[in-house]
Amino acid sequence: MADAVFLALSVLTVGSAIAALEMRSLIYGSIALMGSLGGVAGFFFLLDAPFVALFQLAVYVGSIAVLILFTVMLVRRELIFKKIEDKRRKMAGIGLMLVFLVSVGALIMSSGIHQLESDSPPIDFREIGEDFLVYYWPALVVMALILSGAVTGALVLARREVENGSN
Amino acid sequence: MEFELLACGGRQIMSVIAPTFRLSYFLKSILDNVFWIIVLVTLVGIPAIQIVLFYIEMPVINGELLTPFLALTWLADPSRAIPIVKAFMYTDFFRIAVFPGFGLAALVAAGTIFVERKMLAKLQLRVGPFYCGKVEGILQLAGDGLKLISKEIIIPAKADKPIFWIAPVAFVGTAAAFVSLIPVAPGWVVADVELGVLAVFAVIGFFPIVTVLSAWSANSKFPFIGGIRALHQMISFEIPLILSLLGVVMLAGTMSLTGIAESQEFIPWIVFLPVGAIVFFICILAELERIPFDLPEAESEIVAGWLTEFSGMMYGLVQLGTYLKLYAFAALFTVMFLGGWSGPMLWPPFPEEIITDGIQLGPITATIPGLPLLDQAMLNGVLWFLLKTVAVIFFILLPRGVFPRIRIDMLLSLGWYKLIGLSFINIFIALALLYAGVLGPGGII
Repeated sequence: MADAVFLALSVLTVGSAIAALEMRSLIYGSIALMGSLGGVAGFFFLLDAPFVALFQLAVYVGSIAVLILFTVMLVRRELIFKKIEDKRRKMAGIGLMLVFLVSVGALIMSSGIHQLESDSPPIDFREIGEDFLVYYWPALVVMALILSGAVTGALVLARREVENGSN
Repeated sequence: MEFELLACGGRQIMSVIAPTFRLSYFLKSILDNVFWIIVLVTLVGIPAIQIVLFYIEMPVINGELLTPFLALTWLADPSRAIPIVKAFMYTDFFRIAVFPGFGLAALVAAGTIFVERKMLAKLQLRVGPFYCGKVEGILQLAGDGLKLISKEIIIPAKADKPIFWIAPVAFVGTAAAFVSLIPVAPGWVVADVELGVLAVFAVIGFFPIVTVLSAWSANSKFPFIGGIRALHQMISFEIPLILSLLGVVMLAGTMSLTGIAESQEFIPWIVFLPVGAIVFFICILAELERIPFDLPEAESEIVAGWLTEFSGMMYGLVQLGTYLKLYAFAALFTVMFLGGWSGPMLWPPFPEEIITDGIQLGPITATIPGLPLLDQAMLNGVLWFLLKTVAVIFFILLPRGVFPRIRIDMLLSLGWYKLIGLSFINIFIALALLYAGVLGPGGII
């Protein structure tokens, strides 16, 4: 069961990633990108990490993809760049990708990673939260400072000059 | 007078068209009907039922496997039908399609549409729907539904057809996914997710995508303007919406919606976090595109906004999705701030003597096994939940009769400055209550 789901998710993720690159229509390309990101969320569900999966859905599919859609809709319909179709270049690209993936796969298969097996339950997100508050608290403070700086910066950038003293 | 004469003439013509009654023709038509019913049932109906039954897992009731023969026998005997109904009520299909899922939500949505029209009319000293169904226009909704189903679906010539067809279905699907996360009574929820609040955020994020895609695919200027407005509005109000729920999550110490509802058995969180509740309510209004935030559908400026090009049942589906979403948001407000199903016991207990002695009708005594069908706590919970949800829906509908539409820059500055600031204040209130040891896990209350 899990294998079938894994295969389906792999086909969805990789297929829609290729579609996102190859589609001529920008809108359909961004929809395909959404499918790819959703497939990654599915992988997180398979790995017993619903917290990460739901954040992947909420942030990547719900916000980043919307941002891309929004940008695509505001550009003009005509393509800005002229794409030179070259069959041999395409074949060379596909070949290079295959060689790279096969070599990385061979490396991983020959290493000890794929033999790792453990019966320990998946780490609960509560434990991660407690670790963040107790042991890694400087990292948490730095992250909070960066995020609040980003929020403040966004608000300052978005602020309009008050004209004629009225808003 | 003339009208009556015409009517008489019509009746005469009608009598000419209908053939004269003959007993042999009458019997022949009855026999024909019987013949075709027998042929169709034996050749099509029974094989179809067999094929379906082959794939359905039948439940075991009272130690017996429920075969179709047994089911028909029991259903013919009303005193034994209740175990079958009970077994059906605990299937997943019933949960998804009928009770805490789609059926309940669609019923509340239909009621909301009717009440909205009637209440707005009363607010503005109009009559509202009046003629359909004689009594206060109570069948207006059924009439509207029939009209929408029978209308032609028109697709704009230069529309992007696949997206345009999928968009209404995806909208209803997203709204239904939202509805499935809402717990209605203890244990009565379609999908009891441990990270319910996060799942709600993930589902809400799909609404702007569907909206803007459908607006773009119509290839028309009014939907496009409406879609861009909807995108601005939904994205900017999602942030205070998420932030305003964080206070509740901190105090309850869980992200499961069921857990949050159970955590306010005695005091609802709105007592401690009124700021968060107000921010959340305003964000609901903006996410639902209700007046005063109905810029995406502003009918006096851009025809009907992003709904302009939808026709027939596609428009009906989008409306259904909108009202399902309204029910889901009102229910979410109830669960997060008003205590969900908790409330004093109002529902009367099921009379004991019917369970023990059965129903006595003169000389006949009927003992019915399997009673009570639903326990008292669940019915009481549903009652309280629906009361609170309906009250929230009422407050969502009310501004439509009172407020004008606000400008888009006012909307954005409200969302980005005031509401985000207030929701941070709400988080600090929650933190203060938590660290002072008043509330939360291990608190005084």
